[in-house]
Amino acid sequence: MSILEISGVKKIYTTRFGDNKTEALRSVSFDVKQGEYVAIMGESGSGKTTLLNILAAIDKPTSGSVILDGNDFSKIKESQAAAFRRDNLGFVFQEFNLLDTFTIEDNIYLPLVLSGKTHTEMEKRLQPVAKQLGIEHILKKYPYEVSGGQKQRAAVARALITAPKLILADEPTGALDSKATDELLRLFSQINKTGQTILMVTHSVKAASHASRVLFIKDGEVFHQIYRGDNTNEQLYQMISDTLTMLATGGDRK
Amino acid sequence: MKKSFYPKLAIDGIKKNKRLYFPYILTGMVMVMMSYIISFLSASEMLEHMEGGSTLRMILPLGSVVIGVFSLIFMFYSNSFIIRQRNKEFGLYNVLGMDKGNLGRIICWESLFVSIISIIGGLIFGIAFSKLAELIMYNLLSEKTTYTLQIDFISAGKVSLLFAGIYFLLLLKFIIKVCRSNPLELMRSGNTGEKPPKANWLSAVAGVIILAIAYYIAVSIKNPLSAIVWFMVAVIMVIVATYMLFVAGSVAFCRILQKNKKYYYKSNHFVSVSSMVYRMKRNGSGLASICVLVTMVMVMLSATMSMYIGAEDSFATRYPKDISIRLGVPDIKYFDEKSFEKMRDSINELAPERENVLEMPCISVAGLFTEEGMIIDQESHAQFDISTYDNIGYVQIITLEDYNRAMGVNESLEKDECFIYCYRTEYLNDTFTIENCMPLRVKEVLDKICIPNYMVLEIVPMVVIVTSDIETLAEPLLSIKNSWDNSVLQMSWNYDFDIDGDADEEKAVYNKIDREIPDIAIHEESGDYNYGLVSRATERSEFFGMYAGLLFMGILLSIVFLFATVLIIYYKQITEGYEDHKRFEIMQKIGMTTHDIRRSVNSQVLTVFFLPLLLAGLHLAFAFPILWKLLQMFGFSNMELMIGVTAVSYAVFAVVYVLVYKITSNVYYGIVSGGRK
Repeated sequence: MSILEISGVKKIYTTRFGDNKTEALRSVSFDVKQGEYVAIMGESGSGKTTLLNILAAIDKPTSGSVILDGNDFSKIKESQAAAFRRDNLGFVFQEFNLLDTFTIEDNIYLPLVLSGKTHTEMEKRLQPVAKQLGIEHILKKYPYEVSGGQKQRAAVARALITAPKLILADEPTGALDSKATDELLRLFSQINKTGQTILMVTHSVKAASHASRVLFIKDGEVFHQIYRGDNTNEQLYQMISDTLTMLATGGDRK
Repeated sequence: MKKSFYPKLAIDGIKKNKRLYFPYILTGMVMVMMSYIISFLSASEMLEHMEGGSTLRMILPLGSVVIGVFSLIFMFYSNSFIIRQRNKEFGLYNVLGMDKGNLGRIICWESLFVSIISIIGGLIFGIAFSKLAELIMYNLLSEKTTYTLQIDFISAGKVSLLFAGIYFLLLLKFIIKVCRSNPLELMRSGNTGEKPPKANWLSAVAGVIILAIAYYIAVSIKNPLSAIVWFMVAVIMVIVATYMLFVAGSVAFCRILQKNKKYYYKSNHFVSVSSMVYRMKRNGSGLASICVLVTMVMVMLSATMSMYIGAEDSFATRYPKDISIRLGVPDIKYFDEKSFEKMRDSINELAPERENVLEMPCISVAGLFTEEGMIIDQESHAQFDISTYDNIGYVQIITLEDYNRAMGVNESLEKDECFIYCYRTEYLNDTFTIENCMPLRVKEVLDKICIPNYMVLEIVPMVVIVTSDIETLAEPLLSIKNSWDNSVLQMSWNYDFDIDGDADEEKAVYNKIDREIPDIAIHEESGDYNYGLVSRATERSEFFGMYAGLLFMGILLSIVFLFATVLIIYYKQITEGYEDHKRFEIMQKIGMTTHDIRRSVNSQVLTVFFLPLLLAGLHLAFAFPILWKLLQMFGFSNMELMIGVTAVSYAVFAVVYVLVYKITSNVYYGIVSGGRK
C-alpha cells in the first residue's frame, strides 16, 4: 500500500520580474510504500531540496500532485499546513535545528506541546523513544552541552515522538563524524524495522546504502532507481557508486 | 594600495550597517546639539541683564555637566553594540589578509567620518534650535526677545572639542578591542553557544527586599529635612534594586514558571517562557537602564512642571506680605514693648503708606520633638544623628496678645495653658513641655494661624505656642547655651506689611528700609545685630527665574534621557532581531505557523518592552510622597496639581513609548523575517 504518491510534480521558479524562469523539477513521479526506507540521491542543483520542500508542504508544486495517506497537499490550506506538518511528518535536518533555549527534553516535547498534549502524555510518549535512541541520560541537558551525534539523536526523537506517517530526513549525516554517522544509520534501520516509513535525501553513498530503495534525481527528474532486493549494505553501496559514476560521466538512462 | 582605499572601505562599512550607524550618528548629533544649546544659553548676554536670569545662569552649567557625563557613558554604551555587531566583518577582513594595522586604519576612518558628521550635524541643529530654546526660555521667564539668529563660536568650539575627545576615547576602545582578539574569535563572536542563564536567587530576593525597603523609606518620611537626606539613599537603593530585579529577578521568575509543568507545557507559554529567560539575561541591564531613565525623566518633569505651574501659589504662600522684616533681639531685656515701639516708629517713618500689618515678636528655639514636647539640650539627648532627623524642629513662642490682635479674636488663657499650632508636623499629647520649663496644658490645637513670613520660610517642622506669659515660660531656657556658648533662644521682632502701591513703590520702600536697617535694629554694646528683610517685588523675579530655570533644565535633560531611552530600545530590538532570526526559521520548520511565531514573539517583545514602563510607574508612585515633601520645602502645597501633572506626564510619556515601540518593532520584524523565503 502506498503511503505517499507523487505524480508529475513540476516546479518552476520565476524571478521577480517574471522574465527569467528556472525549472527546478521537470516531472517527478514515484510512490513510497508503507514501511519503506527510501533514499533520494542527486547532485547539487538536481532539485533534491526543492522536492523535499514540496514533500514537507513548505513549498507548493507548479503542477502535479502529492498525496500523503489520502491527503492531497494541494487541498491543504496555508493556515493548516503547519498543523498538518506537525501531525503527519517528522523532520530530521542536517543542522539538527534544536532550539538552544530548550533542554533536550523540551526540544523533543516541542511538537507535542504545540499540538496541545498534556504533560503526563508527553512523558509517557518520551519514555520508549528516549530508550530506543539511547538519550535518556542527556534529557535534562542543553543542546550546547552534548555532542553532534547526541543532538541528531535528539532531533530524531523529536521527529518520532508524534508518531508521524512519514519521516523526512534532509542530509541527516551531513554534520556528523563517521562514528556518529554509523550509529545514526543503525538507528534509522532499526526504526524502519518497527514499520516507520522513512524518506531520506542525501549525498552520502554510505547513508543511502542503508535504504531499501534508492532514487536518483538528475535535472529535475527521477533518473534511475535501485532496489535493495536481497543485497547487503556493502553490495548496495557498490551498486550506488556505479550508478553515480555513470551519472557523472553522462551515461544514458538505464 | 590607493590612498582612497581605506576611506572607501570605511564609508562602505557605515553604509552597509546603516541600521546600526544611523541611530548612533543621530544620538551623537542630539548630544552635541544639547550641549551647544546649553552652552549657548548660559553664555547669552541677554540672560545676564534679565531679571531672574542670574539663577538660570547658575543652573545651566550644572545641566551641561550632567549632559557631558551622560554623553560619555551613553556613547560608550551604544558604541559597544556597534563593536559587537561589526566584529564578524573585521574577522573576515582579517582572514582575507588584512593585518591589525589595516583594520585600525579602517576603524580610524570610520570614526573620523562618524564624529565629523555627528559634530557638524549636531552644531547645525544646535544653532538652528538654539533660537527655539531661547524663545522657550524667555517665554518661561515671561520676557520678550528678538528673532535674530546668533551663533556662539566659543560655545561651538568648546562643544566640538569635548565631543572630539569623547569620539577619540571611543576610537581607542574600538582599536584596543580589535587588536586584542584573534580572527577566528572575531568571526565567531555573536554565535557562540550560550549557557542557559542560571537563576541567581540570592540577588533576585535581595532586589525585592531592597526595593521594598526603599519604597518603605519613601512613604514613611515625615519631615522634609530628612526627605533630603533619605531621598538620595532611596534613589540609589531603587536603582540598585531595579538592576537586580531585571537581571536576576526576571530569570528567577521565569524559572518558577518553568517549574510549574501544567503552566509551562502549554503551546502559548512554552516557547515564550523559555526564550524569555535568554532575552532577560541579555537585556536585563538594558531594560533596567530604560526603567531608571524613564523614572528619572518622569520625576524631573513632574517635579519641575508642578513647581512651575504652581509657582504663583507657592509664591503667595511663601511671601504672604509685600514686605517682611525680622529684627533680632539680642537680649531678653530688650524683649519688651518699649523696644518694639522704637522699631515700629522707625519703620513708620520709612513706610507711611503700609497696610495689613502683622506684628509679632517671638521667641524661638530649635530642638527635638518628643511625645511630651521638646528637648533642647543636646547633651540631654544621646545624639543628634541621622535617625533623629525626623524629629528636628522649632518651637516658636508668641504671646496671646499678639495672637488675638493678628487673628482678630479675643481668647483668654490661664498661666499654664497654651494654644498650639503645628506646621509640617503633628502633636497628640495634651500637655507640651519644653525642656525643663513648666508643662503647658494644650487648651486647643489651632487649625489656622497668621504667622509672620520668616516663620513660613522655615523648611523644618515647627510648633507655634501661644502663651499668656512669655517671660515666665522662657525664663528657664535662658541659661541653656549651645556649643558656641550662645543662648539657644532666638528672640526676634517680626513685622510684615503690604504696600499700597505698585512693584516700583514697593522696591523703593524696600531699598529705603534696607539702607536704614542698622539704625532701626537694636544693638548690643558690641554693635552686633541681625536682621532679615524680603520684599515680594525683589524676590519675585529670582523666584520665578529659579522655577523657570528648573523647568527648562528638566525639559532639556528629559529630551536627552528620552533620546537615550529610545536608542537603547532600538539597539535592543536590533540585536534581538538578529538573534531571533535563526530561531524563527527552526520553529517554522518544526511546525509552528508564522502566525503562532509572530504571536509568541509579539507577546515576549511586548512584555520586555512594557515591563520597564510599568516598573517606572510603580517607582514614580512610591517616589510621590517623598517628592511631595521635597516640593513642600519650596512652599508648594497643591497636591491635586502635582498628582495631575505627574499623571499627565506619565500618560504622555507612555504614548511616546508606544510610538517608539511601533517604529522599532517594525525594524525588528524586518530583521527577523529578513532571510525567509
